[in-house]
Amino acid sequence: MNSQKTKLDDSQLVGQYINGNEVAFEELVNRHKSRIFTTIYMIVKDQYVAEDLMQEVFIKSIRTLKSGRYNEEGKFLPWILRIAHNLAIDKFRKNKRYPTIVMDDGNSVFETLEFAEGTFEDAQMKKDVHKSLRKLIAELPEAQKQVLIMRHYMDMSFKEISDQTGVSINTALGRMRYALINLRKKMQQYNIAYDQNFYS
Amino acid sequence: MTKIFTHDDLIRYVYEETEPEENRQIELALSEDMELLEQYHELLWLRKQMDGGMMSPSEKTINTILEYSKAVNLHPVKE
Repeated sequence: MNSQKTKLDDSQLVGQYINGNEVAFEELVNRHKSRIFTTIYMIVKDQYVAEDLMQEVFIKSIRTLKSGRYNEEGKFLPWILRIAHNLAIDKFRKNKRYPTIVMDDGNSVFETLEFAEGTFEDAQMKKDVHKSLRKLIAELPEAQKQVLIMRHYMDMSFKEISDQTGVSINTALGRMRYALINLRKKMQQYNIAYDQNFYS
Repeated sequence: MTKIFTHDDLIRYVYEETEPEENRQIELALSEDMELLEQYHELLWLRKQMDGGMMSPSEKTINTILEYSKAVNLHPVKE
């Protein structure tokens, strides 16, 4: 039995997966599922569409990895986040003419946010804050939202964002600045736990 | 003399995109400029809130992905 106490990095796990180790793939999925899923959700704003797209992203990734077409030079997370982003944007554009319905009941069933120890009320309030925050991010102007998602959720550098979006690094930074300022303002406006010590 | 830093510099710092020498200078500025420190704490707080807002897909979706991976076999022929 191969019990490894040292945590393998993504590149090692990808290597093992390509060689047929499904456990390595499971580790990769569990390691990055939240970041990938949140990135998709932030774009499509619909829990059920995001679940479907999550599967599509991984199906595409699995087929690329297993057919030997994966470029070893890139890093796994930015690569799969790029796939997620592109698929989500395609979906968002196709569905734009239809109203987006996000079911509150669905959210409560599917969201599995980890809560710190505390009362049920604390956990519920924290969950509400996070839900409101996602809604506010979704309402940001498109250019600001794009940079915020790429920098915060996709973990791309401002240089990479600049390359990808065709704007200067300063413009990308400026959009991020406005995104954060707008978020802060909206949180104050809607009184969303604007207490810096609230959840610290 | 302490260098003047902008909000954009702080964003780069919070997202760990600044160079070590720049970090040293920003940290010095943070120790002397209360307004900058306040902006920094606000950025950290926002970042923490956004991290806390991470979502997870359903277990069903994850199981479907893992089952698909096990079922599909496209391994290229090794030399």
